[in-house]
Amino acid sequence: MNENVVIKVDNLTKDFGDQKGIFDISFSIKKGEMVGFVGTNGSGKSTTIRCILGFIKPNKGASYVYGKESWSHSSSFIKEIGYVPGEIAFPDLNTGTDFLKSQAEFLKLKDFSHANRLIKILTLDPSANLKRMSKGMKQKTALVAALMHDPDILIMDEPTTGLDPLMRINFMDVVKAEHNKGKTILMSSQSFEELENSCDKVIFLLNGRIVSIASIDEIKNRPEQDFKIEFTNHEDYEAFKALDYTIIRDQPQYHQVTVSIIKGRVNDLMEDLKIYHLKFISEVKYTLERHFKKIANIKEEN
Amino acid sequence: MNRIIEVINLTKDYGFGRGVFDVSFSIQKGETFGFLGPNGAGKTTTIRHLMGFSKAEKGEAKILNKDTFTHYAEILKHVGYIPGELAFPAGLTGFELIKMTEDLVGKRDPERLTMLCDLFKLDARLLKSSTKQMSLGTKRKLAIVTAFMSDPDILILDEPTSGLDPIMQDVFIDFIKKEKERGKTILLSSHIFNEVDQTCDRISIIKEGKIIDTFVANDLKHNKHKFYRLRFEDIENYLKFTEMAKFKPFIDIIKGHRATLELFISTHDDDIDQVVKELTGYKIAEFTNKQETLEDYFLKFYQDGKEFGGLK
Repeated sequence: MNENVVIKVDNLTKDFGDQKGIFDISFSIKKGEMVGFVGTNGSGKSTTIRCILGFIKPNKGASYVYGKESWSHSSSFIKEIGYVPGEIAFPDLNTGTDFLKSQAEFLKLKDFSHANRLIKILTLDPSANLKRMSKGMKQKTALVAALMHDPDILIMDEPTTGLDPLMRINFMDVVKAEHNKGKTILMSSQSFEELENSCDKVIFLLNGRIVSIASIDEIKNRPEQDFKIEFTNHEDYEAFKALDYTIIRDQPQYHQVTVSIIKGRVNDLMEDLKIYHLKFISEVKYTLERHFKKIANIKEEN
Repeated sequence: MNRIIEVINLTKDYGFGRGVFDVSFSIQKGETFGFLGPNGAGKTTTIRHLMGFSKAEKGEAKILNKDTFTHYAEILKHVGYIPGELAFPAGLTGFELIKMTEDLVGKRDPERLTMLCDLFKLDARLLKSSTKQMSLGTKRKLAIVTAFMSDPDILILDEPTSGLDPIMQDVFIDFIKKEKERGKTILLSSHIFNEVDQTCDRISIIKEGKIIDTFVANDLKHNKHKFYRLRFEDIENYLKFTEMAKFKPFIDIIKGHRATLELFISTHDDDIDQVVKELTGYKIAEFTNKQETLEDYFLKFYQDGKEFGGLK
């Protein structure tokens, strides 16, 4: 096995019956890489994560962390992993501080400076009662608990679900800083945008199977650029359509077209447009969301 | 009587600056009202008072002109409710939970139930399992179905799509739009701007227990000022354009970034023709636009300066 590979998932299958579960999942995560997991509810994101952590035994295939098989060797690597579960169930302790201290004890951690730095960035009040914490506070407490011992691997199952937008940004800033420090990260999310802005690659799961693995670089550096243009009148709309452009969407009722041009040929487009009356022109960004929705639609049609 | 939901000077002080203070708003029949604000700002506290779960220290929460704390059982029959954090009674399957809710509301509509289960892809196999075994997404779908299955006229939705996948979130938005057309009165608390943007007529922002802004959603949506980012091919074109733009009243230069040859401008939709004509004289490498969204507009309200002590 390549020594740069930190997490390897090899034909992993966990069949819950009724076509539920995960089937033949394979991918690997290199040291320092950040990989995202996205997919519909029940597509198998949490199941895959739970197999990697050694919480459940697969029917077929295996997953490895540092080359060690998850189910049989999880105790040997579990302290190297900071894990933020999707649904947080804290132990029966009084306050956030009590919980973080018990975690520190388990991890034999003496130095709280990193924990306190995280608490400050996330504006968390750990003295609050654990049971009465809002979703956001629980999530932040769980992140501090996962990161306080500075583990090399970070695995997070929908850590930002339920967070308000600013908390999301703060939370993701912490994660991005960990990524920049060279941590190996796997996180699932319901937000395409969040993954697009942080991951190196994103895995798209549907019904327990991988349908696509996208490289964020390729999505961001796509050679084409799409523009939506609306004309004020039908004549201009028709005249423009007669030109040699690749039209990817046509909405005659609004005198509107979406064209795809080679990046860097914006000037030619502007030159062609100057004789017409425009209502607006705007770029239609090619996003991870568009990329995956396109794939999902194609799959459904077949 | 047009005011279906009414909150008047609602106050509940939990101490340490937590709670809600003098919150007032009302929702007219057929209106969808958005409730935005950071975690812990008081959205759920307000909603819990509206549902009659909590007694106000001061002020009132009324639905159909009745105080919700004292008329809890009666109001329940008219209101569909989705709680922010789902805690189903222990030991029930999905089917049993649906049955229990039907009994509680005193209404059964198998046809509508089937329609909702199909729409939100909640099949019999999922409903047979215990709610404890369900994934967050499945639980969320179950909460949506149980809130809407009796076809109530009033809906109180506390972060209804939290945990739903992006495709289901779109399904939910379309569904809410249809319910709106059918005349439902809706209170929607959400962090997902897109959801609020697409469905709400009016939006209030709550922060630290107080309503700090209320506005009509359309005002923002129809803003005709657009922001564009230009990147020029070389410094010569960058400078020439910047110099020229200073003398054109229809181009506002927001900021320039010489090192990357980027220029941010703003222009009114009516002037886009003229902007395009000007642009043709310069070599541009990139031209992208950025419309101010609800998110840009409101992120500033979320800023928070609080600091807490750490571990010792």
